[in-house]
Amino acid sequence: MFNTRMVTFWLQKDGSHPHEWEDGAMGDVGDVGRGRNPRFVLADGATEAYDAIRWVDHLVTSFTDQDGDAPELDPPSMLRWFTAVQQAWVAAAPQTFGTIFEEHAFADGSFATLLGCEIRDADGPAPWWRAVALGDTVLFHVRRGALLVHFPPLAPDDFGLHPDGVDTRPAALPLMMQQLTSANHGLQSDDELFLATDALAEWILRTRQLEGDGRVWDFLSHLSHPDVFAQFVADSRVAGVMKNDDVTLMRILVSESDPELVVVCL
Amino acid sequence: MYDHTFSRQNPGCIVILLDRSESMGLPWRSSGMTLADGAARAINRLLFDLCIKATKEVGGAVRDYFHVLVLGYGARPMEGGEGVESAFGGRLAGRGIIPLSELAGAPLAIREEPSVDAMAATTKMPIWVEPVYGYRTPMCEAIAVAGGHVFEWVEDHPESFPPIVINITDGLVTDSPYEGAELAEWAKRLETVETLDGPTLLFNVFLSSEGEPAFFPTSGHHFPDPGPQLFDMSSPLPAPMVRNAQAAGVAVLPGARAMCFNADLEALVKFLEIGTRAAELPGR
Repeated sequence: MFNTRMVTFWLQKDGSHPHEWEDGAMGDVGDVGRGRNPRFVLADGATEAYDAIRWVDHLVTSFTDQDGDAPELDPPSMLRWFTAVQQAWVAAAPQTFGTIFEEHAFADGSFATLLGCEIRDADGPAPWWRAVALGDTVLFHVRRGALLVHFPPLAPDDFGLHPDGVDTRPAALPLMMQQLTSANHGLQSDDELFLATDALAEWILRTRQLEGDGRVWDFLSHLSHPDVFAQFVADSRVAGVMKNDDVTLMRILVSESDPELVVVCL
Repeated sequence: MYDHTFSRQNPGCIVILLDRSESMGLPWRSSGMTLADGAARAINRLLFDLCIKATKEVGGAVRDYFHVLVLGYGARPMEGGEGVESAFGGRLAGRGIIPLSELAGAPLAIREEPSVDAMAATTKMPIWVEPVYGYRTPMCEAIAVAGGHVFEWVEDHPESFPPIVINITDGLVTDSPYEGAELAEWAKRLETVETLDGPTLLFNVFLSSEGEPAFFPTSGHHFPDPGPQLFDMSSPLPAPMVRNAQAAGVAVLPGARAMCFNADLEALVKFLEIGTRAAELPGR
């Protein structure tokens, strides 16, 4: 029997307040005995978009609501889910808008990248993950300190200003379905999955190119306090090796063993 | 250079120089508008879009991701006669570079306007700049006045993306040399105003009734006068804007300058959008 343990680190962009962090992260370690698989999701709201915080929050909450709207990770189910979350966005529209800018901003809609994954067969001998992605939030699968695979398989120069993503506008559905990608990979005990939004994902890929796996995974695997993460991000921004963006890292350990200790950050 | 993002802590600065000389009363291609009408509509649309993008939440104020100013040159409806003055009216008259939230709170009017895109016949638009034309074309003085404003602004915002100055004109400069310097020299002086992220960028939009439209050209010799001179004055397009242009479906060759020639209204709006998107708002 494999269990999963998850921790999330995040930092808002420099110049913003913590409550203006526009990424979203949510995990459900599941209850395999009751048929609920572990499921994890990251979303990265577009800063130019209206009310990205609410859109991202809605996406990650719905994606992990396995007793409710959570989709199966196949195209027909994802299409139904995209439609449902778009309808929920419209249903939550304000009755009146305070300004003409707000009215137009709502009409322009919101937008977020999405990376969701589920761990399957965790109660069997050969667990595996399945993931879906729209955009440049990336899953890294690491085994014994080395990267096995990353998804979507982006290169460092692929992180641009106009990634794919989940749009609030129904007219964008065909394009979203065309851009939606998925992947699977087998898991072994003590494998780690790292889900990272674009600024950190780009840093990971560039640092691997320059310094190899050791520097990256040794550091990220042993991160244990949000202040250390915040300092690392701040230092990287100052050094010009990480762009000034909201940054989120979710680390998931898949293991047959129980935790040796529990860390509580106060 | 040119990779800082726009934020409230380090906002962007956009200064538009709007030719209000007599010749701006000529028809704009086959649009049925004058050049002055079209330029004012494009500027109002740009300012509106900036306010929309800076509106982030239900009930929230427009965020000050940008500071803006529009300077008219030629006719001066406020002070009278010929010269340079802020094109903003009402509460904003006579002000220098202002935060976007102040702009958002003080349009001259909100009107039903023909839509720039094909999605809607009309749309409600805030109006900050009215079409005005008359007198000659004191472009040197306009660049000199803009230089004074951006110099002060840069002192207060040394870590911001550099100021973006966009000159929209249809004609030949009439005040060169001004205070002993030719137009090209004033443009060079403007580009000496720098933040830590690079020199001020100068865009030129040349509205003309002859010749094929051109976006971000790599040569200016085939344009009618003063096209070659405007080309030489225009900044090389920095890498983030090259990426924005390419993402918007505009081909950009190496050596491209920040210039637009003989655009129609839709193309002009697109050009302004590319030129002011720069290194993006933080995040996207």
